[in-house]
Amino acid sequence: MINLILIFPLLACLILLFTKKKILNNFFIILYAILHFAVSIAVNLNIDFLPFWENTVFFEANGINKLFLIVLSVVFLAFAFYNRGYMKDDISNERRLRHYAYMVLFFVFSMTGSILSTNLGITWVFIEGTTLASAYLIYFHKTKHSIEAAWKYVFICSIGIALAFVGIILLTAASGSLESLYYKDLFEHAKEFNPFWLKMSFVFILFGIGTKMGLAPVHFWLPDAHAESPSPVSSLLSAALLNSAFLMIINVFRITVYAGCDFFARIMLLIMGFLSLFVAAVFIYHINNYKRMLAYSSIENMGILAIGLALGGFGMIAAMMHLVGHSLIKAAFFMTSGNILKLYESKKINHIEGIMSVDKATGWLWILSFLGIAAFPPSLLFISEFLIVKTFIVNGYYILCALFLILLTIILYGTGHNVIGMSFGKRSEIIGHKKLCLSLYIPQILLLAAAFWLGLYMPECISNIFLEASMGL
Amino acid sequence: MENIFIILLGLSMIYISSTSRLTAHINMLILQGWLLFLICLSGFMAEPWFNLNIFNSVKENSSHILGIAFIIIETLVVKSFIIPVFLKKVMKKTHAHRDSDANIPHFYALVISSIILFMGFMSANINAPEFKLISPLYFGVSIAVIITSLWLITVKRTVLSNVISFITMENGIFLLSLSAAKEMPVIINLGVLLDIFIAVFILGMLVREINTEFEDLEISHISELKDYE
Repeated sequence: MINLILIFPLLACLILLFTKKKILNNFFIILYAILHFAVSIAVNLNIDFLPFWENTVFFEANGINKLFLIVLSVVFLAFAFYNRGYMKDDISNERRLRHYAYMVLFFVFSMTGSILSTNLGITWVFIEGTTLASAYLIYFHKTKHSIEAAWKYVFICSIGIALAFVGIILLTAASGSLESLYYKDLFEHAKEFNPFWLKMSFVFILFGIGTKMGLAPVHFWLPDAHAESPSPVSSLLSAALLNSAFLMIINVFRITVYAGCDFFARIMLLIMGFLSLFVAAVFIYHINNYKRMLAYSSIENMGILAIGLALGGFGMIAAMMHLVGHSLIKAAFFMTSGNILKLYESKKINHIEGIMSVDKATGWLWILSFLGIAAFPPSLLFISEFLIVKTFIVNGYYILCALFLILLTIILYGTGHNVIGMSFGKRSEIIGHKKLCLSLYIPQILLLAAAFWLGLYMPECISNIFLEASMGL
Repeated sequence: MENIFIILLGLSMIYISSTSRLTAHINMLILQGWLLFLICLSGFMAEPWFNLNIFNSVKENSSHILGIAFIIIETLVVKSFIIPVFLKKVMKKTHAHRDSDANIPHFYALVISSIILFMGFMSANINAPEFKLISPLYFGVSIAVIITSLWLITVKRTVLSNVISFITMENGIFLLSLSAAKEMPVIINLGVLLDIFIAVFILGMLVREINTEFEDLEISHISELKDYE
């Protein structure tokens, strides 16, 4: 069944290539999103509606990656509907819009491939594929700034991913006589691996894929790329792409856990996690570009995920919840930033005041997204951050816990200061659109509703998915 | 025999770091492609199955033939033909023939890259049980090539020479993958090759766009996006 969501985008691209019909661009993106959503729901409910179509050896939906698949589906579905409204009045010519559709399909295809793949090498290939597909999306507006952002993105990420490949080669050296890169075999034989090369390989893969995930100190492409790409693309980058890189790190981390040399790996993750929080805390207050501010918030949240993974146990479950909450809320946040950009035609924070009086719905979405990301109860992030703090205290890491809370408070203050300043105050003159269409509001409302609802009440089937994804770590 | 090729590959990095003409850099890329091919070939020659008879029973030896075909495509076709030709085209279009004013003088670049290569050779002589799992000379030189390339990316001034250093780094990684003495499945190799190829292609396109939007290809111009304005 999962073959369907891997083959569909390729077929859709071919049909687009031959028919060149403008109307098909959005049609295929929305159809793919719906199909993706249906398949991942079925996967999570263990239903196979195409039992005669067997999976290949390279792709499989299992307990570890099911959660990532459903998050990608939900974000992509929201993206597809928002994108329709957002690109409706884009003045780009037909050819460029068609290229945009190809690249969106290919981008989601590579993320899906990297999430579902059962082989470390194939995951690598797909992760590099995501870089190449999203480069065009970042560069879509063809301005001086977007070229700069795309250049930095492709160059830095390609180097990072190349270093991750060095890590994979070292892992094959560590694996001794094992001639396989399938996760199943790697997990099974992890105990026999050479610890020296395994640790070396983890360092390379963490730094390499950490570049893609946006962990400090290798995060430099992230603020530029998120700020310069069209807002729907930013939401996909932040809420889906970073997760698929995180899944690869989790899988390699799992090997170190099974091999019994995870102490070293946990320390590396903790350092990178705290560095990410620190970088976000230092930069977020003075930033004068609200999309950059959201990008730094993504770096912060990736840091929290790394910390949760490093703590293990409850921390890991918290990290999984955090991942879901962050993806839902950050996607809504970036989409709302697209509304603001449409209303004011400026990305500068100091040019924008009184969103509430200009467009009440956008203002409320902006405030609610902020409350969600700042982990105000009942946001799902409240539960995840609370659990992480609890894990710190239970394990006796009081100083780290204090540091974690201080850095989060600084980030909260910085973001809050900017968001509140933009939302209220006197009404500044708007130069962009006066009225936005309905599809620029509904996806965010649904995403935020889901994030807050999961914080209030989590059905057992969903909590089981969290438990399954964090099993053994 | 292959040791000579490996050492030549290491020396080609010293040459790249001490010249500023981009044509010379691209010629070195061609040379590196050939050297990698010869290294692989001498590896194959040591194998018992390597003789003309493998073509008599293609079916039985399909994995070997596929391996050889892949190596030829990767090293000779992509690394020493398509990528250099493409880079030369980009160079002509952008009129960037030199990477002058590198951040440090050529003499120091020569010294530093020689020291890195020397360290690579020294690391090949480490006598630790861990190093029994890899071929030491391959490992030492490939690490030296990767480090020199990363260092060159930080000191060179034009975006085009950054792309060239990126490719030499990929060549270093290719050599490293030979040191693990284990072949990756062809499907992964193909994917890796395709990704790198497209990455170079996209970088080349971006170089041309940068050339039209910015004044020239100096890396220092590409720093307009800042956190504080």
